[in-house]
Amino acid sequence: MLPLKIENLAVSFPGLAAPVLSLDSLEIAAGSRVALTGGSGSGKSTLINIIAGLERIRAGRVFWGEQNLADLSEGRRDQWRAANIGLVMQDFHLFPGLSALENILLPARLSRVANAELVKRARTLFETVGLTRPDQHVETMSRGEMQRVAIARALLRKPGVIIADEPTASLDLESGEAVGDLLLSVAADAGSTLIIASHDQRLVERLDRRLSLKSGRIVADARLGEIAA
Amino acid sequence: MIRFILADLRRLWLGGAVVILLVALATALGVAVTLQERSLRLGSARAADKFDLVVGAAGSETQLILSSIFLQPAPLPLVDGAVLTKLAADPRVAWAAPVGFGDSYAGYPIIGTTTSLINGTTTGFADGKMFALEGEAVLGAAVDLSVGAEIKPMHGSAETGGHTHAGAAYKVVGKLQPTGTPWDRAILVPIQAVWHVHGLGAEHGHHEEDGHDHAAEGEGHHDEADAHAGGEAGQPEPVAHASEAQQPVAKYAFAIGSASSKHVEEEHHGSIDPDAPIVETFGEGMPGLPAILVKPKTIADAYRLRQEYRTGATLGVFPGEVLTGLYATLGDAKMVLSAVAAGSQGLVAAALVLVTVIHVGQRRRQIGALRAFGAPRSSVFLIVWLELFLLVALGIGIGFLVGLGAAHFGAQMFTAKSGVILPVGFTREDLRLAMILLGFAAVLAAVPALLAYRQSPAQALRA
Repeated sequence: MLPLKIENLAVSFPGLAAPVLSLDSLEIAAGSRVALTGGSGSGKSTLINIIAGLERIRAGRVFWGEQNLADLSEGRRDQWRAANIGLVMQDFHLFPGLSALENILLPARLSRVANAELVKRARTLFETVGLTRPDQHVETMSRGEMQRVAIARALLRKPGVIIADEPTASLDLESGEAVGDLLLSVAADAGSTLIIASHDQRLVERLDRRLSLKSGRIVADARLGEIAA
Repeated sequence: MIRFILADLRRLWLGGAVVILLVALATALGVAVTLQERSLRLGSARAADKFDLVVGAAGSETQLILSSIFLQPAPLPLVDGAVLTKLAADPRVAWAAPVGFGDSYAGYPIIGTTTSLINGTTTGFADGKMFALEGEAVLGAAVDLSVGAEIKPMHGSAETGGHTHAGAAYKVVGKLQPTGTPWDRAILVPIQAVWHVHGLGAEHGHHEEDGHDHAAEGEGHHDEADAHAGGEAGQPEPVAHASEAQQPVAKYAFAIGSASSKHVEEEHHGSIDPDAPIVETFGEGMPGLPAILVKPKTIADAYRLRQEYRTGATLGVFPGEVLTGLYATLGDAKMVLSAVAAGSQGLVAAALVLVTVIHVGQRRRQIGALRAFGAPRSSVFLIVWLELFLLVALGIGIGFLVGLGAAHFGAQMFTAKSGVILPVGFTREDLRLAMILLGFAAVLAAVPALLAYRQSPAQALRA
């Protein structure tokens, strides 16, 4: 439930003349549901990394609420991300050899914040995402189930922001749709700001606002009302 | 976190097992060298412990110790029997005992000696009693015979083409408790029996007059004895039959002494009187002896005696000083082996660094994901570090055990051959080695951990 405000952001990589991402101003209201589209090389992934606090910000400011990510050191950014951002990725990044429940709890455990309450929440979330066997090892699950586990993991610490990077790209149509439903419903329940980068037109159409990127710049910013109009 | 590491290691168990194996082998090599060398030193020192001073004829100190204490068969120059008489009467001497060797039975050396030596160097009998008659024998603990057995001495040993003494036989009357020295493999008989088997020394009953003659003989050919000993030393194969071939008359030259036996008439030998009581007061006219073991009363006496018997025809030696010289050689050998072991450990360490750096490269995405989901950098560092450190530490632990096992195995083989018990065991020094190795492992494991720590999660995920 955090608003995003980006000012004068520029991201360049050594060896590249033009910046891969250049945003003079972007605001996303708290609790809104935003789709991020654009081809490869559009700067979409870079933007995701920046707003998730995965990449260092060298030029510009990125505010989530009152917090400017540019001010945080790498360690503090990790900490802040762990507490405020729920990440869902195309490749799930579940850890084999651990059960589904252990996977949900792993980041919290590694941050040494897992207490009995959090373990209980993990079990509840497990049911919320529609799974039944918390002790099942993740490598024996279907891809759709895996993404559900990943979503449960992202929600564990009640993040104010959920960022999903191509959450349905590696799923078949049916599970992709189910995962899309799940993301929308959990974000709505928690009131979290939801940002989804996706090529999946069916998923994108269900979001309130669509940002299109090309060559590191926003080329279209359409809101649901306008689309309907 | 531990569960995550265990799950990770389970997944990568084959690679982990190879790492453990490599580390274990490299460690075991170094540990085995250290343990073996130390146990050899300790074992030989303990074997020589009971023997304070050895007096022999002038010649090689090392050979004197090897023959008299480690019972390695080799011809020794003989020391005049009168030296024993003088030593036995010396007030500074607790006991002095001759050793006569050269015969064997079933691969066990037969040693002629006295009851005082047996009493002075062993802890007592496991079975039976001390020999009291000329035809009786006492067994060392490691001799695979039992009380009541009959022993037909063979001159030299079977491997060196010895032959059995006709008509001579000992009856086993006792078996000693183990001492952990080569003497455990010896068959001990009265020295006078050895002399009589070889036709030396006093005839029983009227030994005084007879002995006189022998003494005169021994005296007269002393120079020859020395010359002969020198000649033998130059021969490539210093064993009994070699000298026999050259001097057919000196049939019993081996160890008992060629000069004295040279003049022995055929009818003299093979004649022990099994029922004759043993006489251990050595008077005049004794045959020459390869070595005399002396127990001085005090340490000061030991030094004085050694000094006195280092002049002219005799050689007084502390076994310890000879062993120290041998240890220096052993130490050199150990240094070479240790360098080889260290080299192999270095190679393994380098291989490990290579493997883990590649491994971390392959796991970049996983590590990046861990970070992305909020695992602190310290946790990532700890995970990578712990995984590698656990493997290497396990390898070091197993290596120490394997090294210990190998050293035990080597020691057992050595004991079976020589009778010297080699005490294999860890000491504080090994603890230090283990600590150093573990410390090194900790530093080694930090290399990939640091790589993982420094890697940006966004970059890692892009990979």
